Amino acid sequence: MNSYPPELLAQLAPVMFVAGLDVPSPNPQEATPSRQQDPFAVLKQRLRDALISQRKVAIWQPEKAKIFQAVLVDVDVRFPPRKLAPPEDQQYQPLHSPLSPLTPSSPLYPDGLIAPIWIRKHTTLVPSVFVLFKRIYEHPQPPPNQTGTAHADFDRDREAEERRRDTELAAEIAQRKRSTNERSIKLTAVLMASRRMLDDPALDARLTFIRRQSGLDPRAALFVLSPVTQAEIGDFVRSLQEALYEPALEYYTNHSKRVRRKRNKHSQGTVHIPVSPLGAGNSPRPLRPEGWTVRYEYKMACFAEFRGEDEVALKHYQDTYAALLVMFGSTAILPPRTKRWAEGKVLADCISVKICKLYLYNKEHAMALAHHSAHMRKFSDLSRGWGIGEETFEFWSWLSRQHRVFAELLEQGNWSTLEIPKHTPVPAPSAAKLAAQAAGPQRNAMEAEALRLLGINPTHALQHPGFYYYMAAQCTESRRERFLRALESEVRSIHHGSLSPGFANEKKVDHLAIVLELYTRAYEIFKKNSASPQGRQQLWIAYRIAQTYYASGKFDMAVRFFERIAKTYRREKWEAMLRPLLSTWYACAQQLGDMELSVQLLLEMLGHGVVVDQEDPESVQEDLLAVLKSTVPSNPEQSLVVDLTESGPLLDSTTIFWTPTISVGESSAFQITLTAPPTVQMSDLPFSSLHVHFGGDLPPVVIEHSQPEGDEGTASVQRIDLGRIHAPHPNDGPSPPTDVQANLRWPTGSSLVLTGSLGADFTTILMVTKLVLTLKQNSWTIELPLQPNSSRTGSICRPQWLSSVDPVRFLPIRGEAHSSVTVQNRPHRVSVAVAHNSPAYLGEDYPVTLDITNLDDRELNVVVDVLLHPLEVEHASSDISLDGQNSTSLVKGVALGTLVPGANITKTLILSVKGAIGDRTLDISVQSRTTGPSVANASPPSPNTSFTGDTAESLRTLVIPSVEAIKAEHTVRYKRPAKLSRGLGDLATFEADYSEDAGEAVVSTTMACIGQSGISVESAKLVREDGTRAKVRSSFIDVDEESFLSEWLTGDEFCDQCLISLSRDEDDTDDSPIPGPGHYEVSWRRLQPDGVKGSLSVSRFPLPQLRPPKDGLIALLDIPSTAKLHSPIAIHLTVRNQRLVRSANVVVQFDLDPLTDGFVVAGLRQGRLPVLLPGAEYRMTWNLIPVECGYVQIPKIKVTDRRPVIDAQLSSTNAAAIAAGGRPPQTDGEEVKIVDVRAEAVVEGSEPVVADSTRRGTILVLP
Amino acid sequence: MGPPLRLNAVAFVSAQNHPILIRTFSQPKQDELKYHYIAHTSLDVIDERITAAGATKSTGCYLGLLYVEDVAVYGFMTPTKVKIIIALELSDNVVRDADVITIFKALHTAYRRSVANPFLRLNVPSDNVTDHSLLVAAGGQKWKLFRQRIDEICGAVTLPGAAA
Repeated sequence: MNSYPPELLAQLAPVMFVAGLDVPSPNPQEATPSRQQDPFAVLKQRLRDALISQRKVAIWQPEKAKIFQAVLVDVDVRFPPRKLAPPEDQQYQPLHSPLSPLTPSSPLYPDGLIAPIWIRKHTTLVPSVFVLFKRIYEHPQPPPNQTGTAHADFDRDREAEERRRDTELAAEIAQRKRSTNERSIKLTAVLMASRRMLDDPALDARLTFIRRQSGLDPRAALFVLSPVTQAEIGDFVRSLQEALYEPALEYYTNHSKRVRRKRNKHSQGTVHIPVSPLGAGNSPRPLRPEGWTVRYEYKMACFAEFRGEDEVALKHYQDTYAALLVMFGSTAILPPRTKRWAEGKVLADCISVKICKLYLYNKEHAMALAHHSAHMRKFSDLSRGWGIGEETFEFWSWLSRQHRVFAELLEQGNWSTLEIPKHTPVPAPSAAKLAAQAAGPQRNAMEAEALRLLGINPTHALQHPGFYYYMAAQCTESRRERFLRALESEVRSIHHGSLSPGFANEKKVDHLAIVLELYTRAYEIFKKNSASPQGRQQLWIAYRIAQTYYASGKFDMAVRFFERIAKTYRREKWEAMLRPLLSTWYACAQQLGDMELSVQLLLEMLGHGVVVDQEDPESVQEDLLAVLKSTVPSNPEQSLVVDLTESGPLLDSTTIFWTPTISVGESSAFQITLTAPPTVQMSDLPFSSLHVHFGGDLPPVVIEHSQPEGDEGTASVQRIDLGRIHAPHPNDGPSPPTDVQANLRWPTGSSLVLTGSLGADFTTILMVTKLVLTLKQNSWTIELPLQPNSSRTGSICRPQWLSSVDPVRFLPIRGEAHSSVTVQNRPHRVSVAVAHNSPAYLGEDYPVTLDITNLDDRELNVVVDVLLHPLEVEHASSDISLDGQNSTSLVKGVALGTLVPGANITKTLILSVKGAIGDRTLDISVQSRTTGPSVANASPPSPNTSFTGDTAESLRTLVIPSVEAIKAEHTVRYKRPAKLSRGLGDLATFEADYSEDAGEAVVSTTMACIGQSGISVESAKLVREDGTRAKVRSSFIDVDEESFLSEWLTGDEFCDQCLISLSRDEDDTDDSPIPGPGHYEVSWRRLQPDGVKGSLSVSRFPLPQLRPPKDGLIALLDIPSTAKLHSPIAIHLTVRNQRLVRSANVVVQFDLDPLTDGFVVAGLRQGRLPVLLPGAEYRMTWNLIPVECGYVQIPKIKVTDRRPVIDAQLSSTNAAAIAAGGRPPQTDGEEVKIVDVRAEAVVEGSEPVVADSTRRGTILVLP
Repeated sequence: MGPPLRLNAVAFVSAQNHPILIRTFSQPKQDELKYHYIAHTSLDVIDERITAAGATKSTGCYLGLLYVEDVAVYGFMTPTKVKIIIALELSDNVVRDADVITIFKALHTAYRRSVANPFLRLNVPSDNVTDHSLLVAAGGQKWKLFRQRIDEICGAVTLPGAAA
């Protein structure tokens, strides 16, 4: 921005002249005695500071606070002359401002547009308001003790004096007022008075007097201020400006109006711009109408800017700019390369900056950038017409300046309010949203918005100022290039002399310094704006900076930059960018005479295949050799290490092991291949040796260079055998270094293959850690470390194994290539055999036999662990036992002792299966350990190789299913008691040991052998567990146990019956089952296949729970099974009320059909039994005489309980219904079940046989 | 369809920021190096955009206009973090994001198909599918079809009639 007049760029603000604040320069003699400073001097000083510091002249000031640009002036400052009368022809010439192009003495005469001096006039010479600070006269205090007359005299004197002083003051103000009125500038007087004065009642009158006398405006023209604090001064300054802002605006508005009038007159062509008589002849033409338009529009723009009306200002500036373009469009109006033309260009540039700035104030970034680019484009086009197109340095200088000004503007904006927009893509709005927008009321606005969502115009995407500095720098580089070309042509055509006046100036310009400055500023801004830790953008600019340093001969600076940049480029493998960098870097190193760096860079260039000179591909190698031959290293004692692992290695290297794992004592073949790249010439590099470093304590193998006899060294593949390399045991001394000779020269594309085998006597991991090539020339020793596996970027090295040198043949290696070999101990050959007879029986101690044999040739110490996995089955439990150790989960560390080779040991593991069946899972781990140092013979020297014997482990997992050996099934039948139970009133029922007979149960138990192998039963018995409600009465097994004791084979079944008598408790009202009163206990042994009987196991089968049937009212029919013809038999029917609370009204009906029934009956045919109370029974008897033979059905008997009928009649309103004549419900009551006691012993669960009308029992009648 | 775009350069950069392929179509051929620098510096802006996108949980591959020099640089990142960068010649027109995304998708497809080339793995030692050097190698001199596809896309972009 320094290249433009600051007046044309600065933000304008209303100007305020402030007079009367001159502080008398402190007199040194006075200052020391009176420490007490004059309060008014302090006040003035503070006012000055407050007014001056509130606003700085700057380009970027978008704030719209009512702040003036305060200018301190003398009290009697004079304004510049308003109109100048031309010296001659005063009669008819209108008056013109001294700056007008019509005034011959003006710098713009006769055809200038606008000069910075015009702005300066309005910012420094003519204010919009004038503030005059004055002291009001204050009469000294009256003496304290005055008498009446003296006092009156004093007052009179005082009044006279005040009046006199006030008149003087008013006259002074009035004079000032006259001069400001001339220019319609608002004058405001501020009278400074002491605090005491403010309270004086006479003050108002005095002020009114002064205002009247001086002709000040009635409003906002007179202030009184007393010495106040700093804060209050701020308030005062603010309120003063508030009050004066409107007059200031008015002042500028009037100016605008005046200019607009002139412009309108001018555009209507009513004013004829007189041609100055002086204009005739050779002198240039006066300003054309277009020029006047520019002037007027520009002035209006400036006045609008003074008023803070940015949008109006923008409009006028744009009009000015358009008018200027019209002028530039014609060489007739504005001939190029004239003074006016140059001024016009500066004006256009400045207006362009202002337009951009005003757009940016309003956050219209795209518009600002669009204008900026349009400006550059238009003037680039114009420049071509003016003969300063792209091929001239003037053009690039101008373009660079545009970029730079724009960047500076953005940077200034960035310091305060400007925010650079982010150009992240907006997600595409949904179709619904678009539709809603289209239907919405503000359709146009929405459409514009939608358009913006579609994409952006890249030329309108504002970026941070770093970019524009960067572009300015690039333009400056182009400028320098054009300048150098011009310089060259000047040298060539020396006789023609200098071409243009600008060229002489251009020679004085230090282009590189400018470039450097611009790049540096761009770098800083990029750094500030960059979120990425890599800072690649900075690196790119840094690269340009480094190049500029190089061009300007500051090689040391350039080298520092290159060093940093190369790091990232190397890491990210951007070779294309690295190559030119290395070339320049090398050039710098050469200039600096840094030989180590040169060597390093040349080697790296070789690695990258940089070709400096296209015609001579070997130039890099030759350069390197030349450097090595002609120079000496700074420190010849120490070898120079050039590590190229980060960048490209000099040689491609691969290291392959044939097998990834070997046992101790074996060795694995390996091949190390070093291949020169096919494009880089390095065959003459004098390598002297190659060290191959293996890991661990292995000594490096050194391969010395030896020139082969004759020319046969040019074979493309050279194989060198390194032999068997064996890592010695740490206790042994280092093995003598192996020395091998090879031709260490690599013609393009040739390979050196080192073969050998590697092994160790202890467990370790062997690999090639490093290859070091040593290059020796004169006093130079350069070490080049290489990675065992590395390749240049872009080339995928396929692993291959050299199988034959002549002819060269490689085996491709499929799958993974091994770059290291693991040495392991030999595995222990231990055989573990597990034997058992699946499945296991529940309740049995199940033996599992472990048979461990040492098949190795070493003594092995064997330890066994057994893990029993938990089983997720309810009630299931199991435990294991081995060698006296018991556990439910893990038996650990059962030592089986040392097994000599060939020895065998057998152990039996007992698994007890309990609770429930299910698969039991066992993990058996047999760990073997060599017993002693069989290879090493002394205690280890270092901890990491300490020899503790190697261990191995063999694992077996067993899944053992388990089943029950015997399966027991029960069937239960119940019999009702035959006896009558005792009545409710029987006292015996209250006895403690009384138990009511509840019938009996017969349990049949079937025990079957269901396992796969048979069992031998050794005992079988029923263990009684008599309870209160059930007692085992008798059992078959008690009588004949012997018949159970035999060998049961699969499928064998044995059955036992037992009789259980049941009783009932009084309070036993619930339906809970009666627990079984005992269990069967069967002791058995498994019959092993080999005939051996297993361990004794006991199975227990509890008797089932008993649920005797519960009857309410029941009829039991007791009939004999057989009868003799014509002999009478008795049948009994017992009706028993076993209900707990209800009585029973029972009716019995004996239906005898004389035709079909083969009996003659004596007894009750139909009758009602006495009411049966709960627990009572009634027994009745019929005598029957059979009259037919065979199975004769007994007659039909029907027993009915009438009680439900009575209940129904009682409980409802049936009584009323009966009274009303309705019929009672035709229910005959509930039919009572009749049970034939012969068939009564029912199987549990099924219905007892009922001797009802449909299924009647029969009697076998024999003749 | 907006006004035709002029594609000046295309760059593919791997997830580890190694260059895969940089192809320039601008007329003065000596500019090739410049597009290397542009691609490299774009990575900064891409990093920035990705961080910003991560904060807003945005999942789009398209990263938009990265920056403007004398060309407009646009970025795109595939799900496998391969970055595609294109440089469009500046013209005073709105560049529709949809058009740029179409170009990117075409380029992405071209890359995908090239990486899927089974012969790429012919001599590769490991069976690792996502081997980094392999993905970089897809842009190597040896694989002409990739270049050809890119050139076709460029031709189609510059002459939209031909593509239709």
